[in-house]
Amino acid sequence: MRSQQTEFAEFFQASWEPCLRAVVAVAGTRPQAEDQVAEAFARAWGSWRKVRQHPAPQAWVVRTALNTGTSWWRRRNRELPLADHDLTAPAGLGEGPDGGLDGTLLTAIRRLPQRQREVIALRIFLDLDTATISRELGIEAGTVRMHLSRAVAALRRELTPTTKSTEADR
Amino acid sequence: MSIHDEMSDHDVLRAAADSLAGLPVARPPDVESIMARGRAHRARRARRVTAAASLSAAGAAASTALAIGLTSALSPAPAPAPAPEAAPSPGTGIGPIRTAAFTLASNPDGTATLTINAGELLDTASLQRDLAQYGIPAKVTSGKFCSSDPAPDGFKQAVQLYGPWVRMTPSGPGKPPPDQSTLSVTIDPAAIPAGAALSIGDFQLGPDRQQADMALIDTSSSTCSSTPPGPAGPPGGTQIIFGGSGQAGS
Repeated sequence: MRSQQTEFAEFFQASWEPCLRAVVAVAGTRPQAEDQVAEAFARAWGSWRKVRQHPAPQAWVVRTALNTGTSWWRRRNRELPLADHDLTAPAGLGEGPDGGLDGTLLTAIRRLPQRQREVIALRIFLDLDTATISRELGIEAGTVRMHLSRAVAALRRELTPTTKSTEADR
Repeated sequence: MSIHDEMSDHDVLRAAADSLAGLPVARPPDVESIMARGRAHRARRARRVTAAASLSAAGAAASTALAIGLTSALSPAPAPAPAPEAAPSPGTGIGPIRTAAFTLASNPDGTATLTINAGELLDTASLQRDLAQYGIPAKVTSGKFCSSDPAPDGFKQAVQLYGPWVRMTPSGPGKPPPDQSTLSVTIDPAAIPAGAALSIGDFQLGPDRQQADMALIDTSSSTCSSTPPGPAGPPGGTQIIFGGSGQAGS
């Protein structure tokens, strides 16, 4: 029988990356997201008996990381009132060649309302179904579907003009 | 027509996922360091519990008697006697706390269940102190309610309410509380974000009818008002009307 330490270590190794991507997509710049996710994993180990029985432990980590970041973001926004440029230029993410990221789409994700970002992140990075997302976020399944639908519509709009212009260039 | 006009939802989600696929993820921290931080969290919780238990051992009888006595003196209803035989709850090692106005008990999973009895005068300071013993940062007020704008996220994860009579916001009106003379909530201290606290505002609506508003607040930025939150409840929180036989608020 595996020890709890081994079990947690395996969970940590397998979950670090998807959880970090989810938190980055929802809330933070990468260094800050890494801190939040690390803190969330530490709390997960601190309550491992409970977390290991959670229906979606990765979602527990992501939610805890996002909650951990709430105060930090609020403080930061108070201290740096001009920092809302993050909303249009996700610092630490869409750096172009270094990150190799699709900055346009990422910016579109970051422009989504908070709840839509959470739903998107839990769906695409943790591959959670609607029922699990509903339980995790404490909202109705229909509300999850609504947020998902609106988010997808917004992202689709973001993708469309890019392709049109590309085609027009040909 | 662009090919993206025909993108399925799946394709859009895939593209969104791919947008972060290039995120250079540094090697995760050493799991031992993470576990050490986790142990530190556990130790802090244990220290809180130990301190509370020591305090309890030193002066539990006196303080409980005082609390009960005060509540009894202030309330026309007889205060239930504390249960000296009650074993410490497995979650915290602290025995259940019972006063005329409320009962607080820990659960094996680390959560705590708070039951408020309608019509009893709530000693807010006692409840706030007792919640702290259970590791729950709280701001308990009577006749006023404290809130932050915006409220910290995580309320629904931190507070669970049970019963068809509970009206959760923003879900809208629930059923009236036909015979409910108590309000029970289960609070998960681990789900309360750092820097946040649970605000509980108690408003007496009648002789045995109460309104309780709850929400998370930012401990560094909150304001209190003697005007009860409207029927929609506090933003990001919950309003419960309980006790009596009348209808719940609209």
